[in-house]
This record gives sequence, structure tokens and C-alpha cells, in this order.
Amino acid sequence: MTLLAALLISGCSSQGKGSGEVELKLGFYSSAQSDEKMQELITKFQEKHPNIKIKTESSPYNQFFQKLDTQIAAESAPDIWLSDGVLVPKYAERGVLKDLTEWIQRDLKSEEYYGLDFNKDASGKYWGVPQGIQIAVLYYNKDMFDEAQVDYPIEDWTWDDLKAAAEKLTKDSNGKYAVDSSFDKNKISQYGLTFFSITEGWMTVLKSYGGGVLNDTLDQSIIHSPENKAALDWIVDGMQRELFPTPSDLKSFQSNMALFPSKAAAMRIGIYARTIDANNAGLNYDVSLLPMGPDGIRFSPVIANSWVINKKADGAVADAAWEWVKFWATEDEVQKEWASLGEAVPVKKSVANSEQFLNGSPANKQAFLDSFEFAGTLDVNAVWSEWVGKFNDNINRAFEGEIPVDQAMIQADQEVQKVLDEFYKK
Amino acid sequence: MGDQPLTPRSRRRRLDSDSKWGLLMVTPYIVHFIVFVLGSLLASLYFSFSHYDILNAPQWAGLANYKKLFHEPVFWKAMWNTIYFTILFVPLQTILALILATALNQKLRGLKFFRLAHFVPVISSWTVILYVSDAIFNPRFGLANSFLIKIGLDPQKWLQDERLVIPLLVMIAVWKGIGYIMVIFLAGLQNVPSDVYEAAEIDGAGVFRKFMHITVPLISGTTFLVLILSTISTFQAFEQIYVMTGGALDASSAGGPNKSSLVLMIYLYQEGFTFLRMGYASAIAWVLFVILFILTALQVTFQKKWVHYE
Repeated sequence: MTLLAALLISGCSSQGKGSGEVELKLGFYSSAQSDEKMQELITKFQEKHPNIKIKTESSPYNQFFQKLDTQIAAESAPDIWLSDGVLVPKYAERGVLKDLTEWIQRDLKSEEYYGLDFNKDASGKYWGVPQGIQIAVLYYNKDMFDEAQVDYPIEDWTWDDLKAAAEKLTKDSNGKYAVDSSFDKNKISQYGLTFFSITEGWMTVLKSYGGGVLNDTLDQSIIHSPENKAALDWIVDGMQRELFPTPSDLKSFQSNMALFPSKAAAMRIGIYARTIDANNAGLNYDVSLLPMGPDGIRFSPVIANSWVINKKADGAVADAAWEWVKFWATEDEVQKEWASLGEAVPVKKSVANSEQFLNGSPANKQAFLDSFEFAGTLDVNAVWSEWVGKFNDNINRAFEGEIPVDQAMIQADQEVQKVLDEFYKK
Repeated sequence: MGDQPLTPRSRRRRLDSDSKWGLLMVTPYIVHFIVFVLGSLLASLYFSFSHYDILNAPQWAGLANYKKLFHEPVFWKAMWNTIYFTILFVPLQTILALILATALNQKLRGLKFFRLAHFVPVISSWTVILYVSDAIFNPRFGLANSFLIKIGLDPQKWLQDERLVIPLLVMIAVWKGIGYIMVIFLAGLQNVPSDVYEAAEIDGAGVFRKFMHITVPLISGTTFLVLILSTISTFQAFEQIYVMTGGALDASSAGGPNKSSLVLMIYLYQEGFTFLRMGYASAIAWVLFVILFILTALQVTFQKKWVHYE
């Protein structure tokens, strides 16, 4: 009898049929800056939906995703969680997420949002709703440009224009710029451009040169191409002349991201979240559109961090989870509150285009919004982190000047294809 | 001896009650062993014969993981890196720790300070060690390069250099671990009776001869323990290499330039937890277990040849 009673009670609390109350397990990765705001928004949500009781589960980024995998295995994962944009396909293609296509088509007007499509897979299904969007632009330090008497970046720049400027902005410890004949490239004190990783670096260059890493269906490598060769040659040349730091140069700093805010580089390719570091460091900087490739192509990489719903959530719990997504996406108030943290571009166009978002530093925030016109994902698929690792392993050796670009492309192509085949050809 | 007939029975009864108590005392351990050790061992053995991505139920795959393992160049590279690390690390640490322990086993003033100084790195976390070694081996700001430049040599990339990374990691690991092994040796040295040395001195033996002919043979039991512990610890080395060669920044590229410091444990971690191939990772773990088992068995067999017990 007691067992039966216990079963009934537990059944009620999770299904929410008895009292009409639903318990929703909400997971998110948190940081010191964002935690308080998230709790505030949860309280607001519960005031609006007194029948939904939210139980939160949060931890810092790395621990969150490590724990999540084991929780999914143990069937104790949250009903809804915040996923890094690059990890959505990892969970979607392994069958642990709910397909949100119908709900999104029913309740959200796609023309009101930036980037709903960034979570769409090759067959047109939606697996998440963006919580905030990261999009890349060119950051530049105005003081360094002024000091070197170089004109600020303009929107018509090609990558070669950028490199020409970088040459005038790269300085050695004797104060000589790279254009000077007595410039000592072994003693750099300031780089023209800092540049690293897939997001804040090489994918932009590859794609604006007409290349890329994966085909449209994201299961074939297209690394070995003349377009990629031209793009990589451009990068390697900049690194060999020490206008941009090589991967091992970057290891000298506490973090790959430290160069621009610590004034060791005059320009960087950076996502929206990097405005926080730059503002905190009190830099006199602004942003501009990313340069064009030789044929006038532009590309700005995007990561849409998104709310995703556990496939195992159903009935009242799934409905409650969707209510949370709607609350987050549709309510201007929520979008504004979250945008005030400065962590991401708001998903809702009306909020992103409001003064509240556009005001403040950097002055040209409009560049982030204009970049949506030529924005795209990072060829993200279920084995993203693995193929990025293989790509980096090989391309970094070319960046260091250890092997020629051609060899690096051939090896990267083979290794990336092997990773893809192993997952997709089963 | 009148009560002789009683003795066997009473002894037997006492043994019985002793063993009952004994069993009762070890029950928590046995339960712990069955649930948390044996259970996970069997689970991982099963996973090693299956395709398991953590997120979905495992699917039986027979020997597929093991076949893949032996045909995978990265696995062999990781194996070689691990062996290379062990070959450099174990003898170096053992010999240096023994010399250090002998030096610090004298009866002189201030020895406590030196013993303590050598033990400080042991209790520091790898993250702390990372900052210390970065101050030395940072390619731009480190002491090592400014020294090289000062004496007119080319600066090195140190931990970013394929050829240097393992020897450097070994040096740092010896520096961190030597205090611990030294303490074990010190304990062994305290057990060597001083009259043996006195006798040798009377016979006119010098410091070196005493060390080679008395100290080394008489603490061979301790040396044996140290060798087994160090070998196992190098095969399980993870944290140091993970933290020092990039894992903290990006899990998928830990293991140094061109996988030159990718050891088996890092390979296992990446495959299992970063790339979600838990079945394959379990196979790596079992291969690792078999290697360690064989190595330890070999060491135990050969100890008869060189270990002296008093």
C-alpha cells in the first residue's frame, strides 16, 4: 500500500496531474555575471505561471556539459537546458532532443527574430530556440591606430587591405613598425591582428575566400581546395612575418583571448561577447564589418546559444518547457534584461534594434546587426569538436611553418573525412 | 599440558569468532568493492565490447573496438609517448630521489628544512606547478629563454616543441614527485642498521662504496616498491599533461604539438568524454590494465634476483 501511495505521489508531482502543478527541471551553464539575472528572470516567469515550479540546475560551462552527458545516460537530465550553439547538433543527431519544428512554426514569427534558422538541420528541422546570439566583427584599438597614424578600418576593406594596415601596426620592442627596415620580428611587442580558433579567426577567412570546411550536408570535407589554399596562404604569410601571432605565440599569453584587451594587438576578429573584456579593460576601441575576400564575399560566423528540450520530457512538462522558451523569446522585457548583461546580441529584432541595445560601447554596435546579412554557422555538426581538433592539429603545423600549406590541407582533409565517415556512415 | 585435548577446539572456536568479527569489519569494504569497483569494472569490460556514445544505450560490437584500436596510428603514438615518458621518468626519479634521501639522512643541522623544501611541490596542485613552470618556460616571457638569449643561443618553444615536450614534462614531474619518493626512501634508510656502516668504516670503505655496497642492496625492497609505484603512476599520468599541454583551453587539442605529448590516459579521456566513444575508451582502459598487470608481474618475478630482505 505504501509503495502504491508513493508511486502515486511521485507520479503526480512529475506529471502534474493531481494539483495542476508542474515541476520543470531547468539546466543552464552559469557565470558570476549572469547568475543573478537568470534567477531574477526565473522568479518573473514563476509569477506569470504559478502552476509551474522551476527547479534549476547550473554549474560553470565545462562542468555543466560534462555532467549533462552522464545525466542523460542516467536519465536524470534537465527537462530543458541551455546549450552552447555548437553543441546543439551533437545532442540532436544522437536523438536526445525534442524536435521543435511544429511549435516554432505555430508560436514564433520567424521574421521577428535573428537566427532561428541557425539551429535548423540539413533536413529542415529545428532543434532549439536561440537564447542569445554571438556574431563576429572586426575589433580595432583606436589609440593604436592613431599612434601609428593609420586610418580606421572601413567597410570596403579586403583582407589584403587589413594586412597592409596590420603591417603598419605591428611593432617591435624598440618601437619600430613592421614597415620599417630595421624592424626585428623576433621581438614583437604589439601585433597588427590577433587571430585564433575557428570562431574568431580562420573560418571567416576560409569562407570569404570562397572555401570552407564541410559541404552543405555537413558530412563531406571540402578542405583541399584552391580557395582554401589562397586563404591559408594569406594567413601563413601574415604569421611568418609576425603580423599575426602563431598558435605557439598565443601560448605565451594566459589566454588566447587576452591579446586585444591587454593591448598586445591592434585588431582582432571577435564575437559580441568580447565587448565585455574590451569595455572592462577601458579600451578606446570600435568595431567594423569583417573584411571581404578577393571576390567581394563576406562571412561572419555565428553561434546561437539555444534553449533545447529533452526528448524524454512530455505532456505537461514539455508544455511548461515550451512556455519558458516562449517567455524568453517573445517578451521584450526579458530580452532587454538579458541584453543588459552584454553577453549576447538579443534574438528578437525589435529589441536588438532598440536604443537600449545600440547605445553604449562600442559606438558602432550596428555593425553586429549589419553582419547578419552575411552570417553563417561554423559548419557545426554532431562531431564538430572532434573535426575541429583534427583540422587544428594539421593547420597549426602549417601556421608554425613546420609543413607546407598543401600538405596540411591534404592531411586535415583525410583526418576530418575519417571522423565524418565514422559517425555518418553506419 | 593437562589441558592439551581442549586446545584445538578452543582455538578453533576462537578463530571462528575472530573470522566472524573480521568479516563483519570488512563488510563495508566488500560492499563498496562489489558496488563501486567490481560493478564498474564489469560495466567497463562490457562497454569495451560495444558501441556506446553515453547518450544512447550501448550496442554489442564484439571485438570491433579492439580491432580499431590496434589499427589506429594515434593509439600507437599515444602508447609510444607513454612508454617514452616512463623510460625517462622512472629511473631518473628513482636514482635522484635515492641520492637525495641518502644526503638528507645525515645527522646535521637544518636538514628538516631541506626535507620540507623538497616536499612542498608534492602537495602543490598541478595548476600551481603550471604557473611556476610557465614563469620558466614561457616562450616569450620565461626565464629559460631570456637566459638562452643572454648567452647567445636561440630561444626555444619549450612545451610547444615536439622534441622537447616530453623531456620537459618529465623534468617537471620529477621535480614535483621527487619529495614523495624521497620520503619513502628515507623510511627505508632509517631501517638500515648503523652497525653495518660502522663495520664497513672499520674496514676502510669510503662514502661511495658504502652507498653502493650497503645502502643500495639493503633498501632494495623499498626500491622495488618505488619502481612499481612510479611505473603505474606514469602510465596513469593525466593531470599534468592535460593542464600543461593545452587541455585547459581546449579539450579536443590537449596532447601537445602534433600529438607529441598525447599519452594513453589523455587519449582515453578525449575519446570517451570529449568525442563520446565510451566503448572505445573502455577498450583503451582494458589494454592499459593488461599492460600494467604484465609489467607488475614481470617486476615481481625479477625481484627475486635483486631484492634482498633481511
